[in-house]
Amino acid sequence: MPRWGMAVDLDRCTGCEACVTACHAENNIPTVGPEEAARGRAMHWIRVERYWEGEFPDVRLTFRPVFCQQCDNAPCEPVCPTYASYHTDEGLNAQVYNRCIGTRYCANACSYNVRFFNFHNPEWDRPLDLQLNPDVSVREVGVMEKCTFCIQRINAARIDARAETEEGRIEDGTLQPACAQSCTANALVFGDLDDADSRVSRLSRSPRGSKLLEELGAEPSVTYLQKGDWDESGGG
Amino acid sequence: MNLAADKRITDELLKPLQGSSRRYRLTVAALMLVVSAGVAAWAVQMYSGIGLTGLNSPVFWGFYLVNFVFWIGISHAGTLISAILRIVDAGWRRPVTRCAEAITAFALLIGGVLPLIHLGRPWLFYHLIPFPDGRGLWPNFRSPLMWDFFAINTYLLASTLFLFLPMIPDFALVRDRASGIRRTIYGWLAMGWQGTPRQWNRLESAMHIMAIAIIPIAVSVHTIVSFDFAMAVVPMWHSTIFGPYFVVGAIFSGIAALIIAMALLRRLLRLEAYLQPLHFDKLGKLLLTMSLLWAYFVFAERLTVWYGNEITEMPVFWATFTGEYAPAFWIMVAGNFVLPAVLLSTKRTRTVAGCVVASVGVVVGMWLERFLIVIPSLSYRQLPYTWGSYAPGWTEIVVMVASFAAMALLYCVFVKFVPIISIWELKSGNDMDDAPHIVEAEARDAAAGPVPARGEAS
Amino acid sequence: MDRRQFVKATAISGASASLAACGNPEEQLVRFISDEPLPPGLAVTRRSVCPLCPAGCGVEVRVMEGDVEVVRDGVRGIVKKGLAKKLEGLPGHPVNRGRLCARGQAAIQVTYHPDRVRQPLRRTGDRGSGAFAPVSWDEALAELAARLEALLQDGDPRGLRFLTRPLRSRRGVVISEFLERFGAPAPVVVDLFGDAVLRQANLESFGFHQLPTLDIAQSRYVVSFGADILGTWNSPVAQSVGYGELRQGRPGIRGKFVQVEFRMSQTGANSDQWVAARPGTEGFLALGMARAILASGRRSPSDGGRAGELIEGWSDGLQAYAAEAVEQVTGVPAATVEQLGREFADNGPAIAVIAGVPLAQTNGLFNALAVNALNALAGSVGVPGGVRFTPVLEGLRGLDAAGETIETLARSILETPAGGAPPVDVLLVHDANPVFGAPPAWGVGEALARVGFIASFGSFQDETSAMADLILPDHSFLEALVDHVPEAGTARAAASAARPAMRPLHDTRDMADVMLDVGRRLALDLPTEWETYEDVARERFEALPPPEGFDSAWIAAQANGVWIGPEAPVPEPASFPDVRPRAYAAPEFDGGADAYPFHFLPYVSQAFLDGSLAHLPWLQELPDVVTTAMWSSWVELNPRTAAELGVEAGDLVEVRSAHGALQAPALIFPGIAPDAVAMPMGQGHENFTRYATGRGANPVRVLAPTVEPETGGWAWAATRVTIARLEGAGDLVRFGGALREHPDLER
Repeated sequence: MPRWGMAVDLDRCTGCEACVTACHAENNIPTVGPEEAARGRAMHWIRVERYWEGEFPDVRLTFRPVFCQQCDNAPCEPVCPTYASYHTDEGLNAQVYNRCIGTRYCANACSYNVRFFNFHNPEWDRPLDLQLNPDVSVREVGVMEKCTFCIQRINAARIDARAETEEGRIEDGTLQPACAQSCTANALVFGDLDDADSRVSRLSRSPRGSKLLEELGAEPSVTYLQKGDWDESGGG
Repeated sequence: MNLAADKRITDELLKPLQGSSRRYRLTVAALMLVVSAGVAAWAVQMYSGIGLTGLNSPVFWGFYLVNFVFWIGISHAGTLISAILRIVDAGWRRPVTRCAEAITAFALLIGGVLPLIHLGRPWLFYHLIPFPDGRGLWPNFRSPLMWDFFAINTYLLASTLFLFLPMIPDFALVRDRASGIRRTIYGWLAMGWQGTPRQWNRLESAMHIMAIAIIPIAVSVHTIVSFDFAMAVVPMWHSTIFGPYFVVGAIFSGIAALIIAMALLRRLLRLEAYLQPLHFDKLGKLLLTMSLLWAYFVFAERLTVWYGNEITEMPVFWATFTGEYAPAFWIMVAGNFVLPAVLLSTKRTRTVAGCVVASVGVVVGMWLERFLIVIPSLSYRQLPYTWGSYAPGWTEIVVMVASFAAMALLYCVFVKFVPIISIWELKSGNDMDDAPHIVEAEARDAAAGPVPARGEAS
Repeated sequence: MDRRQFVKATAISGASASLAACGNPEEQLVRFISDEPLPPGLAVTRRSVCPLCPAGCGVEVRVMEGDVEVVRDGVRGIVKKGLAKKLEGLPGHPVNRGRLCARGQAAIQVTYHPDRVRQPLRRTGDRGSGAFAPVSWDEALAELAARLEALLQDGDPRGLRFLTRPLRSRRGVVISEFLERFGAPAPVVVDLFGDAVLRQANLESFGFHQLPTLDIAQSRYVVSFGADILGTWNSPVAQSVGYGELRQGRPGIRGKFVQVEFRMSQTGANSDQWVAARPGTEGFLALGMARAILASGRRSPSDGGRAGELIEGWSDGLQAYAAEAVEQVTGVPAATVEQLGREFADNGPAIAVIAGVPLAQTNGLFNALAVNALNALAGSVGVPGGVRFTPVLEGLRGLDAAGETIETLARSILETPAGGAPPVDVLLVHDANPVFGAPPAWGVGEALARVGFIASFGSFQDETSAMADLILPDHSFLEALVDHVPEAGTARAAASAARPAMRPLHDTRDMADVMLDVGRRLALDLPTEWETYEDVARERFEALPPPEGFDSAWIAAQANGVWIGPEAPVPEPASFPDVRPRAYAAPEFDGGADAYPFHFLPYVSQAFLDGSLAHLPWLQELPDVVTTAMWSSWVELNPRTAAELGVEAGDLVEVRSAHGALQAPALIFPGIAPDAVAMPMGQGHENFTRYATGRGANPVRVLAPTVEPETGGWAWAATRVTIARLEGAGDLVRFGGALREHPDLER
């Protein structure tokens, strides 16, 4: 049984936000429009946070892509009264849209604030709806939604792997969520954390690695690799 | 036995049940209009989506839950107070208990509906109910919201019983004086009450059991409501103090609501003779005690947060202390602490009017407290990038106004069908003395045990 | 579960649709037989090329069957069609290597855009009013042919002009050949925020009239002078892929990245060292670095070769560019200049690159030549890890700006005395919107209004196509055969080609096919084998050497999505233009510093580029990564400046130059100099689909028409402005909250 995880190399991430649009395209995430966006209801399962430090001209700006951390000890799961948010065997924090009644408790419990709520029924001005991905359900009003690590791709890859090999193992690197696939600087690496040789496992063990809000004890499956320092000897 | 006095009590207290004035009917109609507006707002919200509210990311909970917590808090007026007073057998309680218990039942009904309005898909609320279905799916009992669901339902059931039990002899009294359809209805409600010693015995023990049982239930309900917040790792929610803090706040706001209700009843139903300054004086002292207790909790909470200086909590702390939510915070402090402390500390100002003014301050302050618990913490969560703010949408305001109107409406209707002061209990207190209005004298010695009245109701 | 839910949702919507239809028999939908059988529920992969910027990233298109409402022979019905669902970077493409940027991901919305022009339109109202009525293709083409025929009859073939954006495909050849056979002047290429200055500099320094390919992946040190290499400039995906490798791609080696600019861009945010130099002085800084290198004896002037010789004082060791002088001119501390020079020389291969604001100055060409000289001095040109030039494929070269520009065209029209016949009678417009993008002083809109007849191939109504008499809607790139030759981004020659990924959604036609059709109607002497555009594209591909395992490069290109040329040595430049060494001249700004105290720095937007993508809702709602703004325009102010002006975030401010004024909300931006304000391009459309129309402000409205004198390139960053606070708040929508991770808590 794989345990899916991601490594985010902040030294590579350029803040280009290819991941953000890729996620919209893959997961049928609606655009809410300017009025709703102004009310704080824009939906971006993955976002690139930016933080300023210092004052001009000694000013710095850092980027950090944040999406569902697929916590092992997820605060969003126990608080859901209907089991709409639950833990899969493969370590994902899944959301059953049909079970969700919209208490929004999970969104409060999530310290990463990566759960998004359908305040209205989503709309696509026709024929934009023709782009919708048939492998992903469209969520109706009152339903919480979130990053799934592109579970539709995981499921498809599993089916393919079972058809191809006996043990049905998904080879490292054959499966990528939309964000990692588009990532221009290769900053997002996805894979099986239980496979010690997978790229994501190796990166997660990097001394540059840490978890976001690690002190909260949610045990995220996402490792952030901090920015390196340049020194003239060429190391980094 | 003072039959003349008994008759006078009966006549005066049953008077509101006989007919209604034009002003009353207009009031009820206006209240119904406001309540209907709330229902309509909810209907529109269901049709259009919860987006009509001001809710957003990160403030996913807003006015609906603020009012939910507020009303559940108000609900502690009654039952808890009357149960404690019953257990300690405080004689001055007699004119107060029913009035208080009614607040509980109505506030719970209103408070219980608000979470449903808050749901994104209220038509699926039955997912919360444990019922056997073909897929073997149950609600998640690990969720504080499920605890809430059960706690509130239990409390509603218990407090309704607690309200209903002592009404039985009074229903019988009305039944015996009525005819026609009224007689039938009150007959049902009186459940065959004949005032036999056996029935009195049963009623006494049932009420005693309920009085004892209701106290832990009431305490647990508001503790569990506080757990909705305290269980989430949200800045300034995740606190061990929340359980008792909420219970104290609930009783605090409950007493204030009771004082306001009593003052209104006194004026509108001409019950000056029954709800006397003495009662206000007693409740005022209780309110002052709770005010001090509340202030102590707030002080303890905020001092530990400030001293602890945790990076995730300080933004919430400062937002409420000096930032955008500071006006609400300081109005809360004024209403909940300064005003009651000033008005209720001295006998001179602990008058009916003084108590009412203090109580209004407390109700406003406690509402703001609920607001300050829910909103700022959600606005300033761990990642500063996600910080946001909140202003209510029109449906939330309409529903809030409607919730207050619903309280008034239920009360208005209630006093027309049930004697708002427990006639038999008042009479039972009357046994002790010859004075027509024994309560005042009796209250001077609250510890003195009353002699249960028997067979007086019929 | 997802799939099941989808099926359920489909069933429900289908059921309700048919129930609804029961009531009105006339609305019952007929199901037509699909002309494109696809396996239901399974995806097929096709290829294409992203059309949104000149980089030409290869794209993999995921196509699945879906129901489309169509009208056939006047009957409304549903037909099953292969529909593009998702775009991915094409693995193995030498430019983007399987990656795709945010804009490329959103390109799919071009095809499905609700406001696409779905059939030919003829203008019914006043020019620019946007009132059009549908016409048939036959009528439309007949009308166009008649107008052109009339020109030929009158013996005035030079009365035809073709406006196009730069093209890197054989469509450019179709246009050029058509015009040549017709007897009209060469196409006018509209590239307002383009790189004409840099191409000219590269020609003078290195002999290549071309943008550079940056081998960042193998480099150890990159200095970018204002170039948004990770965001919007040149080949951003190729550069970002390289950047990832620069940082963490080589064990034990982590390259350094330095950004020089006056306003921190997305690219600048990623730098290890961010250097603020005054706009237009970047070349001075580059030469300060070169002088430091020369003075330290790390290199000698002769290492600079020809690129060095173009700088006055080069052979004397650039005495005028001492670090103290550089500090004086640029504002960069002398120690930093020395440090940058030393590091640049010692950490080869090193890359210096310049683009954007430094080139959009009156001294832009000099700035570019200075950076070129720095590269040459460090030995970075033509080597792995340095600055390279993609081999040019003759005959597949694109259409770049040359000769007549939109500015000169507009002037020639406007200079015609009233009543006289303007020099342009028929104007064809392909994928260019100069009415929106050109500075008001050029009068492009007024000029177009005087043209006799305008036909646009636009897929959308925009400010320019709204002035057309005829709109002949083009296919979207997914519906068309596409080919593309990247100018840069790959060290080896490459050419992409792909058949249509899906059938046209609407009644549109390929612009090139329309041109060929009109050519036949006019009996122009176009090559007879050019029946359709496919013939044009195939012709040239077939002349390329086929890769191993393929008989033809055309087949290979379609099979792989791209044809990649053989490993070849760096081509030697044929010849150099004869130019003299140049000396630094201080940049000149429009507007005096007293009346207009702020530099105005417009920048190409991460989401919309120059504004041509403002119609895509995904990009409108994409939070700008630096400001987190969505659906908005904004003016970036330094916190200190804002405090002095009494402006808070979201307050409406007026930006006024000598050429105009605009209003936009203020945004507090710690990464900009106190004497500069910046504004993204792209918003402020007056007429560009439901998503962009009337949204925000267009910074071009206040820009001076200043040009770089030697190249004629528009100096769009050479305007100074004044800022005033207005009453009220602007429409500023932001996604992000606090600016800082640890905000100053005690207020």
